[in-house]
Amino acid sequence: MKINTLLSKFTFQVFSKGDQQRELTGVVIADLLSFVMGQANPGEVWLTVQNHLNVAAVAVLKEIPMIILPSGRIPSTDLIQRCIAENITLCSSSRTSYDICIMINEVGFDR
Amino acid sequence: MTTNIYEEEFKVEGGDFMNVGTASTTLKSSLEMVGIPSSITRRASIIAYEVEMNLVIHAGGGIIRSLVSTDKLMILAIDEGPGIPDIDLAMQEGYSTASDAIRELGFGAGMGLSNMKRNADVLKINSEMGKGTSVEAIIYFTENTEWRK
Repeated sequence: MKINTLLSKFTFQVFSKGDQQRELTGVVIADLLSFVMGQANPGEVWLTVQNHLNVAAVAVLKEIPMIILPSGRIPSTDLIQRCIAENITLCSSSRTSYDICIMINEVGFDR
Repeated sequence: MTTNIYEEEFKVEGGDFMNVGTASTTLKSSLEMVGIPSSITRRASIIAYEVEMNLVIHAGGGIIRSLVSTDKLMILAIDEGPGIPDIDLAMQEGYSTASDAIRELGFGAGMGLSNMKRNADVLKINSEMGKGTSVEAIIYFTENTEWRK
């Protein structure tokens, strides 16, 4: 699944476009940054309620191409600017993490 | 014979939570430019991020030094912070002395040292109360390590 496929099928508020041709390989759901550092794999979409600048640093280090803030969480200006600079797709959704995962599952991964 | 290929040093400010990751993301870019394979760069990035977080959260700042030679990559972190009273306890996953305010930002999960240990071939921690801590992490290159061109 490419990022643009997911964005074309469901409604997200996009704050940073990023490289939407990038392939998503899975999902990581976590709000503890060290958990993501330890467990996330390159290419995964990250669902988190953390909306500050450090989220972008973790995404860069873990080669995460897309971040989704669930439940209506809005990213900080710093986070938006850093995601734009790093070419990371940053969106938010009014839906819960659970609902977003169901949506992602409907599109499916190319495994 | 071991030859040094690259060396870089970063100064990390204590308490600067919003800029945590600056040193480690810069280091990751440098390693990619040097031609270090992705598999090793990813491990080094995790180690660098965790030492950087510890310097910011616990140590009041410090220095991160990265050294690449023909056979290994070394990350060294040195601080003059309060020291770690019980290193074995600090190594346990989930143990953290970070404040609630810091945890609310997603830091202080108590996974930093275990993330470092998991990604380093050798991890040495020396700490003296009231004087500071040094962390040395080494990743060895193998015969199968394919350098980027």
